[in-house]
Amino acid sequence: MLNLMRLEMKKYHIGSYIKKAVFANFVILGIMFMLLFITKIEGDPGFDNYQAALSIIDSAVRAVFIIFASALIAKLIIGEFKYKTITVAFMYPINRKKLIASKLAIVVLFTFSAIIISTAFVTAIFCIVSENFQLVSDTLTSSFIIQRIPVVIMNAVAASCIALIPLYFGMRKYSIPATIISSILIVGAVSSNTGNFTLYDIIFIPITLAMIGISVAYLSFRNIEKIDI
Amino acid sequence: MTYIVKTNQLTKVFEGKEVVSAVTMHVKKGEIYGFLGPNGAGKTTVMKMLTNLTKPTSGDIEIFGEKLNDHSYEVLKRMGTIIEYPIFYEDLTALETLELHCEYMGYYDKKEIAHVLDLVKLTNTEKKRVKDFSLGMKQRLGIARAIITKPELLILDEPINGLDPVGIKELRELFKMLCNEYGITIIISSHILGEIEQLADTVGVIKDGRLIKEVSMDTVNRSQADYIEVIVNDGKKAAFIIESKLNITNFKLIDDNCIRIYESTASQKVLSKTLIEHDIEIEGISKKTSSLEDYFLKLINGGVASA
Repeated sequence: MLNLMRLEMKKYHIGSYIKKAVFANFVILGIMFMLLFITKIEGDPGFDNYQAALSIIDSAVRAVFIIFASALIAKLIIGEFKYKTITVAFMYPINRKKLIASKLAIVVLFTFSAIIISTAFVTAIFCIVSENFQLVSDTLTSSFIIQRIPVVIMNAVAASCIALIPLYFGMRKYSIPATIISSILIVGAVSSNTGNFTLYDIIFIPITLAMIGISVAYLSFRNIEKIDI
Repeated sequence: MTYIVKTNQLTKVFEGKEVVSAVTMHVKKGEIYGFLGPNGAGKTTVMKMLTNLTKPTSGDIEIFGEKLNDHSYEVLKRMGTIIEYPIFYEDLTALETLELHCEYMGYYDKKEIAHVLDLVKLTNTEKKRVKDFSLGMKQRLGIARAIITKPELLILDEPINGLDPVGIKELRELFKMLCNEYGITIIISSHILGEIEQLADTVGVIKDGRLIKEVSMDTVNRSQADYIEVIVNDGKKAAFIIESKLNITNFKLIDDNCIRIYESTASQKVLSKTLIEHDIEIEGISKKTSSLEDYFLKLINGGVASA
């Protein structure tokens, strides 16, 4: 399975996706500082503490990488069916289920690690800069940061599973636009941050969505050995 | 008799329409099996079923003595295939394509890559991305990919599409070499009669999803009589002379000017001399061999008539 994942990553030049993910991090950072300065100029108090700032970073990173995951699903799975390269993949002496599972594992692991690393990176840069220049009025305590760690991990787990939902819409007609648009809609629903509140904060919602994501993934390759290519 | 591929009453229904009907075919070990049929006859569907990409609605397939089922993966190791047209991960280079293919197939002789690219005459293209390849080059790379692991069975669907005449000849020789020297069994489909005729040991003719004939080329060749065709100004008079003076009875008056003589002992020289001596004007005389084309067309047309 690990070998299969390695081959799949080689096949799709996964390195280029890592570069894109790094680039996305800088974009998120840029947006964060832009938001910070706008709220400062306008005197909006909503952004004035670390609790609020870090919650926005969470939402932004999650949103970016759920959409990023849909692009990966489009490339690794939907594209294979759309451009018929799956006929090549299914001609190898490899269990079809294992092959699809390895692709899904790449998507989930990539999304999970990208969310964790990006949250840590963006948060760190944001905190260092704002501490040095006193951009946020309250002070950052180590206990606050430690408290956030399990939250971030749980969020990343849920988001990586939610990121599989677009697979369902994409597989219906092997459509790449449907995959990406559905991920944008999902992000729009769960990650829009209004007054520091997102639907994601209702614990029931991310858990349900994550379970839907896992079911979608399971259903998508349950009968894969019987289908005609 | 050792058959490497055997199907029994193989049938495939797509959306209520039977595209392959009760095909029972036999491919012997070490032969080139030509799968001949017009476009849309069901050749690709049969080949997809042989490679387990498409699952039969009914009937069964035996490959290397094993019945194919949903979980038959090991047999795929022993096959090399091109189905429909050569499909690639187009962002990869030729070299990457072959390297990855070997890894997926569990074949680790990397030296073979250069050798196989040389065999299909694709040199100096290792670093080029497949998306920049012409159709002919893709076809060659597809064949390279199919043969690199030295499979026991090659399944090639229309492998000469998009190739120029020189390329077709080169590949024909390559296929014959693979069959003769490496003992690889090849199933090759085409709608081009001449190709199959020059390559195949056994021909399976498929039409409207039915295998209407499975016959060895030897049998076809034996059954195809040669004849001499003479074009004259007066066919009836010529026919009388041929029969009375030359004692030839095995001939046919095709129309007022054309006569076909099937008698194998008849000589063109004697024939023309005799006809001229009796004031018959000869416009043309030639020896003809009826080819697989005639045989195939007869089969296909017969199929239409009886349908």
